[in-house]
Amino acid sequence: MNDDDLLAMVRQSFTGLRSTTPVEKILRHGRTVKARRRLPVLTGALAGVAGAALAITIVLPGGRPPGPQPATSPTAELAAWTVTRQPDGTIKVTVRELRDPAGLQSLLRADGVPASVTLSGQENPSCRPYLADPGLQDKVVTPTMEFVRPPSGTPGPDPYSGLVLVLVIHPSALPRGVGLQFATGLSQSVTAGGVHNTQSTHLDLVYASPQCTGSAA
Amino acid sequence: MGSQQRDFAEFYRESCDDCLRTVVVSVGNRDTAQDLVDEAFARAFASWRTVSGHPAPAAWVVRTALNANISRWRRRRREVPVPDPGLLADPAAVEGAAAGLVEPRIMAALLGLPARQRQVVALRLFLDLDTGRTAEVLGIAPSTVKAHLARAVAALRDLIPIPHEEIPS
Repeated sequence: MNDDDLLAMVRQSFTGLRSTTPVEKILRHGRTVKARRRLPVLTGALAGVAGAALAITIVLPGGRPPGPQPATSPTAELAAWTVTRQPDGTIKVTVRELRDPAGLQSLLRADGVPASVTLSGQENPSCRPYLADPGLQDKVVTPTMEFVRPPSGTPGPDPYSGLVLVLVIHPSALPRGVGLQFATGLSQSVTAGGVHNTQSTHLDLVYASPQCTGSAA
Repeated sequence: MGSQQRDFAEFYRESCDDCLRTVVVSVGNRDTAQDLVDEAFARAFASWRTVSGHPAPAAWVVRTALNANISRWRRRRREVPVPDPGLLADPAAVEGAAAGLVEPRIMAALLGLPARQRQVVALRLFLDLDTGRTAEVLGIAPSTVKAHLARAVAALRDLIPIPHEEIPS
């Protein structure tokens, strides 16, 4: 199979994925957009409504069997996640399930990252959001997904068993007095294939303090 | 329906599926992608006189959708943009029990790529953009597009199982 065949196979697999929005709905919304531009006084309020409509929580698969651990050292491991300090000074957090938030919090703090890790809705009230630099969070944390091959080298019955969330933390990008707040929550979503357990992870920059992140550094 | 609306409606019918597929691969979530693409098409209609003169209107739509996703990310700040393959790739669909979703192993392989590689692959696959136009849409150098595409294809080759009948004996 050459590259063109491979790409053709990938493209073919998407044939069934189609837009479900009728053109009439797009036209109606387009007219609203046009009208909004003509009414600058109302723009803020309408944009607020549009923003709320787009506020969809993005989730990752949960409740799936954990895949193999990366063979990087030194590594601190728990069943649900892995924390690895990398040679370039970054800290790689591989998340399978965010159980035991206190354990993850301890490990991050031990690695020098001022952090507060809780379940969603149980965020530490001592933590105050750091809003001074809106672009800073992108520099401090790089979220991505990694596909980890099963130990046998052949795919298992669950196609997602090797797909994990990876957060790379750049401690050097954290200004003095700023820390990280992680909050995670579980939810369920229903699709044609059944009920999926899903987990959303929220990140925030916060002012570091002994009460919030364990240190003021 | 006026001629502008007719032109736009034809453009929408021809390109909405491929724009959706491109954005799905880029953001990793079908519902999010649908919202972003709908919003981008609505903006395209609102500016149709300009957009229709664009050399690649579908690329304009995808770029608008991806920019909206970045804006949403910055606005919300607290959300981690994590793909949700569970909502995209339904194993039941692959077994023929339902239609309209994506083959799970291929979706998982795509979501395993870094975000930029996914975007480059999606623009090539679904919008058939050449290197120069892809570079314009993503705001990166053409040489970077080539490098991303080569790495992505190599990674996909490694991640996607080759059908048994094509394995040399």
